[in-house]
Amino acid sequence: MTDSSFQDPRSNNTQNTRTLSILVENRFGVLSRIAGLFSARGYNIESLTVAGSSDPGLSCITMVVRCEALLAQQILKQVNKLPNTVEAVDLTDTNCVERELVLVRVHAPEEKRTTLLTEAEIFRARVVTATPENYVFEVTGDSGKVEAFLDVVRPYGIDEMVRTGKVALHRALGAKTSGN
Amino acid sequence: MSAQMNKRHPLAGKRMTGAEMIIQVLAQEGVDTIFGYTGGAILPTYDAIFRYNIEHEANKSEQMQLIVPANEQGAGFMAAGYARASGKVGVFMVTSGPAATNSVTPIRDSMADSVPVVLICGQVARSAIGSDAFQEAPVFNVMSPCAKHVFLVEEPEDLEATVRTAFGIARSGRPGPVVIDVPKDVQNWEGVFKGEGILRFRGYENRMKALAEARLLPEECAEFLNLLKKSERPLICAGGGVISGEAAVHLRQFSEKFQIPVVTTLMGIGSVDTTNELSLHMLGMHGTAYANYAVMDCDFLITIGARFDDRVAGKVQEFAPNARFLAHIDIDAAEIGKVKSVTWSHVGSAREALIDIMQEGKSFKKDFSKWIEHIRGLKKQHILNYDRESEKIQPYHVIECLNEITLGDAIICTGVGQHQMWAAQYFNFKNPRSLLTSGSMGTMGFGLPAAIGAQMAFPDRLVIDFDGDGSMRMNLGELETTTTYELPVKIIVLNNLGDGMVRQWQRLYFGKRFSGTDKSLRRKNFVKTAEADGFEYAVRLNDKAKLKETLQEFISFKGPAFLEVMIDPEADVYPMVGPGMGYQEMMTGDYIVSRTSEEGIFEKTSKPSESF
Repeated sequence: MTDSSFQDPRSNNTQNTRTLSILVENRFGVLSRIAGLFSARGYNIESLTVAGSSDPGLSCITMVVRCEALLAQQILKQVNKLPNTVEAVDLTDTNCVERELVLVRVHAPEEKRTTLLTEAEIFRARVVTATPENYVFEVTGDSGKVEAFLDVVRPYGIDEMVRTGKVALHRALGAKTSGN
Repeated sequence: MSAQMNKRHPLAGKRMTGAEMIIQVLAQEGVDTIFGYTGGAILPTYDAIFRYNIEHEANKSEQMQLIVPANEQGAGFMAAGYARASGKVGVFMVTSGPAATNSVTPIRDSMADSVPVVLICGQVARSAIGSDAFQEAPVFNVMSPCAKHVFLVEEPEDLEATVRTAFGIARSGRPGPVVIDVPKDVQNWEGVFKGEGILRFRGYENRMKALAEARLLPEECAEFLNLLKKSERPLICAGGGVISGEAAVHLRQFSEKFQIPVVTTLMGIGSVDTTNELSLHMLGMHGTAYANYAVMDCDFLITIGARFDDRVAGKVQEFAPNARFLAHIDIDAAEIGKVKSVTWSHVGSAREALIDIMQEGKSFKKDFSKWIEHIRGLKKQHILNYDRESEKIQPYHVIECLNEITLGDAIICTGVGQHQMWAAQYFNFKNPRSLLTSGSMGTMGFGLPAAIGAQMAFPDRLVIDFDGDGSMRMNLGELETTTTYELPVKIIVLNNLGDGMVRQWQRLYFGKRFSGTDKSLRRKNFVKTAEADGFEYAVRLNDKAKLKETLQEFISFKGPAFLEVMIDPEADVYPMVGPGMGYQEMMTGDYIVSRTSEEGIFEKTSKPSESF
């Protein structure tokens, strides 16, 4: 499977979403301080994931924000000033891999189960649990793939859905451009 | 970060309370004055100050003076005044809840003007946090977006290192305010004092290290010098960063060596001697006409430690329209290209950058004498002026008379409004750190407490609070603080019976409807107020003929003195570049010669923009 096979135009810059990766010290209050830099300017955060990094003392925040590249750069510079920030970069136009995990409960009546499973197979979506009425699928991929999968299952009827939000990582060392 | 002790602290290994540790670290950091107001959640630490001072009874110079304001906001501005005047970290200490929220304004003000202060707040005990306890406020959350950094001390073992680290963060890089929220049980906790150690901030430490090492490479200097060579009309715009970066001496050398004239921002006033031939005073909304014309005429603008604030740049696209090159030196990477994109930039200390360029430019030669001649002409032609024949006391005249007494050597503190701009325009300032003013936030009421703080830092210098009636009302309670500590601050209130600056805008843009700004019917008696607060010199001046002698007797009065001057309530601040407008639309009023009226080439068509 290649990542490019599911490139969705919505995931590129024409819609001005920026994927920001911020490495911070794992202390309380850091997240709200960073989120505050966006909210103070009236920008909504589209998705947000925070979890440990390869260094136990540090956490990695991946944020998707809908704003202009220049503004994202300015906010990143402000983020880069916070004492708790180790590094903040804009990954949007860099050579990185992006993934998101979605759990989605889809209507799966007896007569549609076979086609549903076949279609899910295209996206390598797994059935994690099932009831007589529903399947719960787990699908992982970049936002293009995830959106395409959701488009396919939507006609069956989506009951409920949760998404982790995007995480992103450089393919190679030195592939990034800093917010500075 | 914090100064590492070479020797073991004499008290290292001793058991003491958290409160005592706070005071020991303050002593280690060289704190001689604490401004603050006590209360339930900070009681243990105030008690520790009291006991510390008793222990040091024999050597008064080691004691920490405690200055108690009328309101915590006053304490914050006193600490800020102390820091702005001295360059040292100002310290204030307040209790939890309302005291902490009263401190938000000075914290935000210090952030906006890059002033290093440390605020120690008491907080309810850890077990009570989040329970809506008595006098509880979410200090961490409230202060976070306003301060450079906020600590909530959760682990008592970290307390000592936290206080030390706070000082390091406040003074490093672009300086700013740091808040330490200390729960009461952490103050009462007992543990072993280490006498050393800081908290580690690896990203921040690396960035500070990089900043400290950021010298200009010879080729970068050459690039700069090349731009200078190509230009005919270079102009320096110096901001507060030159002052906080202790680069004023170098800026003066730089300007002299290359023969480049200097305009300053409000925060940059004093970075060059305003009486120097190459100084053009302040630029911007209320800058001098000649400074603003020089900005319009220059072909190379060299901005140092300034940030193209909206009060400076006006309409950004039209700012410095003839500048073919722009150079920007700042210690804050986020300021480069934030408002205006530049040709050449350097992130690092202004001082080192200026030294490096001067070093590389030793043999640089370029004759700017035609430009200097032009500047001289501008200064002569568009000199600040006012109605000198008026019967009423003109505020500008008051300052001119004061200049004859102070000779540019006093520390001038101001409130916010017309009087602040007049002070910036008409006072002479020979030295950096001699105009203390709330530049970015524009906090009315700043002047008096800042003057108290400055006087604490420099007991023997002449400190003047040059205030307006509106600003004076804001922190009026601090009049009493002045006399309580017998601080010889000279307080002069220019009374124009209302909020003059707002009235000026109402005259210009709101059809002279003075909504909320006319205080002529108010019954306030400032002189009686000052007398009631213990001022032995409290005088109201109405008579223009007595201005000089009254000012002389007011300034030479030993001890706190209060002078109210009834000025012409119609006096306005000119020049004025309307909000969001370009410099070519500058209004110069009736007494300053305008270039537009001479040449008539610019049409005044624009309306003030939304960025009021």
